[in-house]
Amino acid sequence: MPAEPDYSTAEAPQLVDRAKGGDLQAFEELVSRYRDRAYARAYSIMRNEDLAVDLSQNAWVKAWQRLAQFHGEASFPTWLNRIVTNLCLDELRRRKRARTDSIEEIEEATGPVENRMDIQEVDPMERLNREELRERIDAAMAKLSDNHRTVLVLYEYEQLEYKHIAEKMGTSIGTVMSRLFYARKKMAALLGETLKRDGLIE
Amino acid sequence: MNENEIQLKVQALVDGELTGREAEELQQRINNDATLQQLHERLTQMRGLIANSELPRPLPESGDFYWNKIAESIEREERAGERIAKPTPANRWLLRWLAPLAGVSTVVLLLTLQQPTAPDLGITLSSDHELELSSDEIDVMTYNSDDDSMSIVWLDYSMDIQKDYMELWLD
Repeated sequence: MPAEPDYSTAEAPQLVDRAKGGDLQAFEELVSRYRDRAYARAYSIMRNEDLAVDLSQNAWVKAWQRLAQFHGEASFPTWLNRIVTNLCLDELRRRKRARTDSIEEIEEATGPVENRMDIQEVDPMERLNREELRERIDAAMAKLSDNHRTVLVLYEYEQLEYKHIAEKMGTSIGTVMSRLFYARKKMAALLGETLKRDGLIE
Repeated sequence: MNENEIQLKVQALVDGELTGREAEELQQRINNDATLQQLHERLTQMRGLIANSELPRPLPESGDFYWNKIAESIEREERAGERIAKPTPANRWLLRWLAPLAGVSTVVLLLTLQQPTAPDLGITLSSDHELELSSDEIDVMTYNSDDDSMSIVWLDYSMDIQKDYMELWLD
């Protein structure tokens, strides 16, 4: 009889292989290792704890069902986070929470040129440690509209190209570029405000 | 190119989405334009700030509770899948007996409806219903039954012969 594998010390690819063969315990170990990452990605997009928990759990169920399609081109957590992101995008579409987006989209399309040009300078690197900075960035991301936050997450965290973002968001590359530009501009303004408020920049 | 388009192009350059000649031309333009230089710098700075800034975030509930819900969903979905895949005893009986019966009935019905006329295949049908083939490209398998007064002929054609030529004769 083969020895019971030590799940806690097994490498992720080994656990994935076992899970592919129907070993639920191996899958549980994967969940235990990467559940925070999956939840964090869902939260980054949805900005709601309950939704992020539900969607990340759904992503794990889908991952179990689609394990045969995972061939290791990306790492397992990267693959899993793509499933999380897709489910979040589906949820956003379903909810059509576009009231605030529509206002910002109008600004994108019709805002004055000088307003668009001004991407505020934010250089807090020397004044804030990395953790403080991340928290401020996270707080600023929370203030963006769903569309602007999503495009930033897909570009900056998921590291997708414009064309793939366009496919995922069901829009044109031009709209992706415009949303990304607007989102960055807004992030710069929000970060500038918070740093000024704390006296970190003039 | 209007001002907005130029800004988006500068952003595309910063993001590595612009390559080759287009990138070189834009870079030259940026080098000669202080406003575009400033935009390029600030976009680069923003990109550096946001990239990899995703906060690690622990689950707001216990890992066991989280896993149990996943395990329950997996089990529920697998049971639902099995229900679809596995027929009930009644369905199994239907599949075992009625499906073949339905198949045979369909074949008989088709054979009855497609009463043969001799197709013009260069095949001659003699009076005692023996078949002759004029082409070497056709394989023939014949079933004769004097008791049933029936002959069935399967013709196997090479791919380049028109499908329309395939016919079945009944005596």
